[in-house]
Amino acid sequence: MTRALGALVLCAFAGVAHAQASPEALDWLHRIYLATEKLSYTGTFVYQQGDRTETSRITRRAEAGSAVEKLEVLDGSPREVLRTRDEVRCYLPDSQTVKVDRRRDPRSFPALLPAQVQELSEFYAITMDETRRIAGYDCQAIVLAPRDELRYGYKLWADVQTGMLLKARAFNRSGETVEQFTFTQLSIGPVPRERLRPRAVARSWRVEQAAVTPANLAQAGWTMSSDLPGFRKVIEITRLLREAQPVGQVVFSDGLAAVSVFIEPLAGRAETPPMGLASMGAVNVYTREVANHLVTVVGEAPAASVQRIGDTVSFRPPQ
Amino acid sequence: MKSKISAMMDGELEAQDLGEPLSAIGADREARESWRTYHLISDALRGEPLLTHGCARRVSQRLAQEPTLVAPLPGPVAAPQSARWFVPSALAASLAAVTFVGWLALTPQRAPVLAVAPVAQSQPPTQVVRVAEPPRVPLTRATQDYIRAHQTYSPRNSLQGVAPYVRSVSDETEQRKK
Repeated sequence: MTRALGALVLCAFAGVAHAQASPEALDWLHRIYLATEKLSYTGTFVYQQGDRTETSRITRRAEAGSAVEKLEVLDGSPREVLRTRDEVRCYLPDSQTVKVDRRRDPRSFPALLPAQVQELSEFYAITMDETRRIAGYDCQAIVLAPRDELRYGYKLWADVQTGMLLKARAFNRSGETVEQFTFTQLSIGPVPRERLRPRAVARSWRVEQAAVTPANLAQAGWTMSSDLPGFRKVIEITRLLREAQPVGQVVFSDGLAAVSVFIEPLAGRAETPPMGLASMGAVNVYTREVANHLVTVVGEAPAASVQRIGDTVSFRPPQ
Repeated sequence: MKSKISAMMDGELEAQDLGEPLSAIGADREARESWRTYHLISDALRGEPLLTHGCARRVSQRLAQEPTLVAPLPGPVAAPQSARWFVPSALAASLAAVTFVGWLALTPQRAPVLAVAPVAQSQPPTQVVRVAEPPRVPLTRATQDYIRAHQTYSPRNSLQGVAPYVRSVSDETEQRKK
């Protein structure tokens, strides 16, 4: 009797939880996406994770059908990231390197269209929260609370007028912040083109191209599964990562969080990296060895989720 | 009957032959006396401390005085029923005793360890359930290359643009090296 009652209460609770996706909040997510795509702006934001904070400047110039974005880290060495529709270039002055990632198939790049936003509500309870002023903008808060322990939760604050995201907080199951992005200053409006040029004089720097090509890792003998509800395979490629040997990469995503599995041979490496878990804000990195290969799983998901996907990786020599 | 009870105590009876002496102990006063006497003899032989006279009766009395909270007190239990209940547990008890004695005999020098059921050993190895978290390792420059390569495919970009890339160019690794 008690058990039946418990089940009934659980069902009722699940029903309530599922109903918790306010259409207004879903609209807001789409608005944020559109603002991210369409606006030109320049601003300063603070990235916080653990007890560390780092200040950066972001400049974005929207042009007809495309855009250029620049991120400059203002603390420490002046690192820069330049992002266009087709390419991401990282300028790293410490190692005098430019790392270039060309986007191969723009269709595989996630967009938060209304249909995708609707799907998200299967894994997150998406609700409206308070309104608050951030960096001089009146903002609406939207909360994406995960329906299970496999994902982080997010709280987003967006400008009521434009939909521009001014603050984003990722939190774990205890509600503790794992990382936070906050604009401290922002001007929305036209940005001159010269503001998007990299500061780095990188002519003599080493250029590392990712050289992305489509791949089929299953054919090479590798099996893995997302193993986590809602995480589906998004793309499967081989690419270069600093060294000459190609690295396999498979990406799984639930529409908001993504997890990448990298596989590369251990043979010929100068040194074996330490095996275990590392983290950077909401990103967890799990490294293990499988069949004399290095498996590195990187994901914006709790360590246990990243590890779970990593532990499904296995190798059987192809027949 | 006495010889059967003695044989049962020595573990010489087959399982199917246990019913008769057990029923006898339940029903027949003389058989019960023999059971008690044989135990007394075996305890004396092994030097086990003897229970005081009438211990069983006093335990029964105390049990009868215990308040019954939920279930109604059962009526007098029929002998065959109690025998049916008794056989498997007696079997289990004697098996356990034999196993224990065997274990003692086979491992005289070793420090006591948890006995492993032989059945488990003959089974194929099952998947190990991971309990402990893997070791925490520091973030290296190389790790940032993976984070950057991953970032390209993260849906977070469509909400935050280039901002999440800050993780992949962080100074964090240099700070930790110091």
